[in-house]
Amino acid sequence: MSGVVGVVALLALLTLGIPIGVALGVVGLVGLAVLIGAEPALIKSGGIVFETASRYELGLLPLFLLMAHLCFAAGASRDFFDAAARLIGHRRGGLALASILGCAGFGSISGSSLATAATVGLVGLPEMRRRGYSDALATGSIAAGGTLGSIIPPSGALIVFGILAEQSIGKLFTAAIVPALTQTLFYLITIVLICRWRPSIGPALPRASWRERGQALLRITDLVALVLLVLAGIGLGWFTPTEAAAVGVVGALALCARRRRLTRTVFLDALADTLRTTGMLYVVIIGALVFAVFMSLTGLSDQIAAIMNAQSDPTIAVVTMTIILLLLGSVLDGLALMLLTTPILLPIIQSLGLSPIWFGIFLVRTMEIGFVHPPIGINLYVIQEIARDVPLSRIFKGVLPFLAADFLHLALLIAVPALALALPAWLGT
Amino acid sequence: MAELTADNTSPKRRGPLFYAGAAGLVTATAVEAIAVSGRWLSLPLHGALEIIQSAILVTACVSMLSATLAGTHASVQLLLNRLKPRVKHVLTRGASLISAVFFAALTIASVWLTVEHWDGYEETELLHIPLRPLRVLCSVSMLAVAAVFAYRTIKPRTGDR
Repeated sequence: MSGVVGVVALLALLTLGIPIGVALGVVGLVGLAVLIGAEPALIKSGGIVFETASRYELGLLPLFLLMAHLCFAAGASRDFFDAAARLIGHRRGGLALASILGCAGFGSISGSSLATAATVGLVGLPEMRRRGYSDALATGSIAAGGTLGSIIPPSGALIVFGILAEQSIGKLFTAAIVPALTQTLFYLITIVLICRWRPSIGPALPRASWRERGQALLRITDLVALVLLVLAGIGLGWFTPTEAAAVGVVGALALCARRRRLTRTVFLDALADTLRTTGMLYVVIIGALVFAVFMSLTGLSDQIAAIMNAQSDPTIAVVTMTIILLLLGSVLDGLALMLLTTPILLPIIQSLGLSPIWFGIFLVRTMEIGFVHPPIGINLYVIQEIARDVPLSRIFKGVLPFLAADFLHLALLIAVPALALALPAWLGT
Repeated sequence: MAELTADNTSPKRRGPLFYAGAAGLVTATAVEAIAVSGRWLSLPLHGALEIIQSAILVTACVSMLSATLAGTHASVQLLLNRLKPRVKHVLTRGASLISAVFFAALTIASVWLTVEHWDGYEETELLHIPLRPLRVLCSVSMLAVAAVFAYRTIKPRTGDR
């Protein structure tokens, strides 16, 4: 009963605009005080604050953020888009395809859905509109492509999940690679099909010469090398994720210097941006950990797990969870959704004999869908900020085919868990 | 995750707080990079993990205050964006008040643990970095965040009005 009251109270606080970390923490702290007394509740919370702030594994969060800000300053988003546009811009819908690939490339640095949609959108959207692409295809492809930033490692969402669920972040990153690649592929196929059906919405551009293509590819070799070093380093066990993040920062600094973009202002701006985002995430994580302790004491997960174990097989349970997550994703933003549901659903997943690593990927994938469907659909609003004359309804119309691809991909992830689990098992991470 | 931050602090407003957090971040990067290089060159850097933990703690404490000062804490805006400015203003102040109370509770909790561990002279294993100052820093940062939220309850940011 106390667990249900806690969840309802949390939803109410979140809806009233209380900061997510605070809402989680308040419900957790008050709930713990009711269940075990005020003094133990305070001591437990104080312990969580110090342990979280001094936790080595959490060091990768600010370091990856710093790497992303430095790569952004080095012009990564434009370069990824340009290279893809030169390579495939001459095909129907080529620039939309390039936007997806640009998002995938920049997502492998930024770890953020919105940052990816915003930065690639700034480059790709004006270009597509100038070349006569339909507004729906142009905005829809970037809004959907932006979600790749949340799943392509190093993903901020997976880091937060890993900390909260006490799972190996290296394993989560490795597990995300195949789902991220297949999601990219699904988006590319969607664009090809739409443009085959209605060729006028994505006209082909003149073919770039091989020299131009070579130059564009050459410009991203350093970025690609950095991304591969970080990802391969984690996947093959050369570095721990925190070490990989530090190597990534050093690499990003070298990259900025090589491109003559490394100035005092750029460096200080990157540090300032990193600090602000880091602070927001630390508050969220502290609140979520206090909430998770409360939830574990309420026994809510055990009760739900018992019901699910008694009445259904794992697939039905997962489908039920998907529906709940998608419904909640309509009213909560991705981060709040993850922090609210992980402490409740993870024990259920484990009791059903499913992998927590798979659940992390599944949860992030579900969370991504919330980024592109109303009323929250934060990516839609970002795109509208860039293309103010395009109504939100038109952007949503453009996203619909990608949303269909998302549902198909999610179904595939549920039906074939090996999509996420095969690579970490194969690499032995 | 950067999607939930929007505010931009002017470079002119960067003070000791920013530089302390930045120093923590740069130290963590440098020590980790040296440790990785050292491992590959068979020159291990003993105690690197302890230095990084301390540096990260400094960064974490400063960054929480920094995010609070910049007003970049993530929140769900679904309802707020649909309310009249007057109601929104009241709810925003209410959110600041609840946040202030929550961080005040964390301050009490943090001070409590600091006092309890004070006579234990806690320190790290290899480099013997004392944990007392780090616990104090943690408590001070919680107090500072609570104070900022309390101030926002009385005097909200211009954009929140």
